[in-house]
Amino acid sequence: MLDSHQSQLSENKIRSIKRYNSNDLVTAILFLSPVILFVSILIVFPVIGTGITSLYRDVSYLPKSFLGLDNYKALIFSPDFRASLVFTLIFTLFAVACETVLGLLFALLLNEEFRGRNVLRVVILIPWAIPTIVSAKVWKLIFEYSYGILNVIICGLGLSDEKINWLGTGVTSFWALLLAEVWKTTPFMILILLAGLQAIPRDLTMQARMDGAKPIRRLFTITLPLLRPVLLIALIFRTVDTLRIFDLVFVLTGGGPGGSTKTLSLLGYEFFGNDRFGMGSAISMITFLIALAITLLYLKVGGFAKQLGVKQ
Amino acid sequence: MIRLLLCLSLLGLFGCESEKVLSFHVGGTAEELHIWEEIIQDFTKQNGIKVEMLRSTSQTEQRKQSLMVSLRGGKSDPDVMLVDVAWIAQMAASNWLAPLDTNIVSPSPFFASIIQLADHYNQQLIGVPIYVDGGILYYRKDLLEKYGFDAPPTTWAELIQMSEKVMKGERKSDPDFWGYVWQGAQYEGLICNALETFSSAGGGFFDSLGKPVVNSSENREALKTMVGMIQDSKISPPNTYTTMKEDEVRLQFQNGSALFERNWPYAASLHASEGSAVKNRFGMAPLPHFNGHESASTLGGWHAAVSRFSDQKEEALHFVNYISSFEVQKKLTLRMGYNPGRPDVYEDPEVQKKNPELIELKSIFKNAIPRPMVPYYSNVSQILQKHLNAALAGTTSPDDALSQAQSEVQAVVNEFSH
Repeated sequence: MLDSHQSQLSENKIRSIKRYNSNDLVTAILFLSPVILFVSILIVFPVIGTGITSLYRDVSYLPKSFLGLDNYKALIFSPDFRASLVFTLIFTLFAVACETVLGLLFALLLNEEFRGRNVLRVVILIPWAIPTIVSAKVWKLIFEYSYGILNVIICGLGLSDEKINWLGTGVTSFWALLLAEVWKTTPFMILILLAGLQAIPRDLTMQARMDGAKPIRRLFTITLPLLRPVLLIALIFRTVDTLRIFDLVFVLTGGGPGGSTKTLSLLGYEFFGNDRFGMGSAISMITFLIALAITLLYLKVGGFAKQLGVKQ
Repeated sequence: MIRLLLCLSLLGLFGCESEKVLSFHVGGTAEELHIWEEIIQDFTKQNGIKVEMLRSTSQTEQRKQSLMVSLRGGKSDPDVMLVDVAWIAQMAASNWLAPLDTNIVSPSPFFASIIQLADHYNQQLIGVPIYVDGGILYYRKDLLEKYGFDAPPTTWAELIQMSEKVMKGERKSDPDFWGYVWQGAQYEGLICNALETFSSAGGGFFDSLGKPVVNSSENREALKTMVGMIQDSKISPPNTYTTMKEDEVRLQFQNGSALFERNWPYAASLHASEGSAVKNRFGMAPLPHFNGHESASTLGGWHAAVSRFSDQKEEALHFVNYISSFEVQKKLTLRMGYNPGRPDVYEDPEVQKKNPELIELKSIFKNAIPRPMVPYYSNVSQILQKHLNAALAGTTSPDDALSQAQSEVQAVVNEFSH
């Protein structure tokens, strides 16, 4: 019902654009030009530049030479790159899943009316407001082997006889990173989903309640479908962001131990630091393409494109 | 109002153009930069050449990146810069450094081996050491005495033995007491530690012809000893391979919770400061070695170099000459605790009185070994960091780690040397 109504609306819009005369079009383009200019300068040109650099061997102490797709080939055959790709994808999957579920739960909770709700709404945003570098340093102190609070608590409660070297193995550092990341970014999810929830007309849920629908039923048939566009935006933001994760890993594990938590961004950073701009750019391009593919996939699966009135 | 601003900015533009200013890229703490500011003012007073300071951070990696941006772009600023000894080869091979005219900057007052190994490229002088560094062993004098040892260890086996005995006793009162703390996290510091241990077994990363020899039997023995300290004798804590960098190591020792420490000389003045648990209780010695071999110390530190793109090379050379002079080097030592690049400062009675440990350090620096002076060194370092760290963590055996590192380093050499 709602979908067809919206697409009807946008078709009307398209028709109305066609009715503009050429004068109006010039005005429209004039008004749009600052945006187009900024997007080109800040996004399109750098992406093209990175794409071009990725086709070269760009090392300061060797002559610059055109390689075609050799940088990409070298990456695909490199075990380091593949390990890093797998780690980044798995980490993104886990992190986004946890954030979405937790974010939705908290958003639903905060959408209800209860005493202290406003205070809680502010408090819950704190992790997100702290700069990642700072919170990563704090998490590092928490996970620290000899004096970290986590080990003190675990040994104090008698849960383990020996201290656990949290950042010392690939598996435990994965969970440590995940915990820190979810703690930090769930508030963002809550914020966006809460805004979406508040845009849902109260009448609809009231009506359903009068018709005798139970809370669970109301959630799945009314709230979630109406929340879908907002949820999609939040998912896209978080997925793309997590794919590019750098600062938290850089501080907490530095990609260690033994390179087991090296994300794509960290690997690219290393190439740039080693003066291998071609390889670094190739990694950036791959990350960009993965992010683009995932975003398109979300739009397709979520039926979001249709709602925006884009013809598929 | 707008017209006034316009006039002012135009004035500013012309003001800059009419006067040539030498620019000097240097990083460090606020205190360090303050002293550099003073030195620059003295230089201007004496020579009439104005110098502008391009301030960078105290983070080595960031200092490198900010320099690389200007040099890659062929900018005429900075004219003079302080560079880490580990980057010199890459910068020289990229043709970013101007050869220093030895008629103005003489190489003779500096440590001969350092000048020879680190400051020459294609037989030309390209830098001079301003601040030299080398790994040393810190030990607890009071504890060695308490457990009946009369001297610090000279071999790694002795170090392990002493650690085990002292740990057994000290753990009763301090459960977080460790025998030997060193830098094992996955970063450049691990390579400095590894180079020292490998060399003290007669090994190293490259042979004299520049061929990688990472999986030599000497290196395998040395790496097994390093891993054993964490995994078998457990004289080094498990966070050696996760969080232990210079300052983490320093704090562990400074809190009184370690018998031996490997660190750079900067730790000495902090250990001796008010509030340190080891004040007046620690000593310094060369790092241990394996039987039949010699102790080794990795060369670190900062060198002054002139950019090839500088538009004031003559003035730049005079500035390099000035900051590497006896007077300025003495000032840096007295005020900042810098270890000078010229041995004659170590002989100065005033310096010896202020920093008595410099006498011991001088003999260590004389034989300090630089990391491989190849332009692609940072790639080599990255490969070694990953595999050595995995070996310390116990996820790979030392033999596997070294043979994998060997083949990857060989691949980098093949790719980048022509």
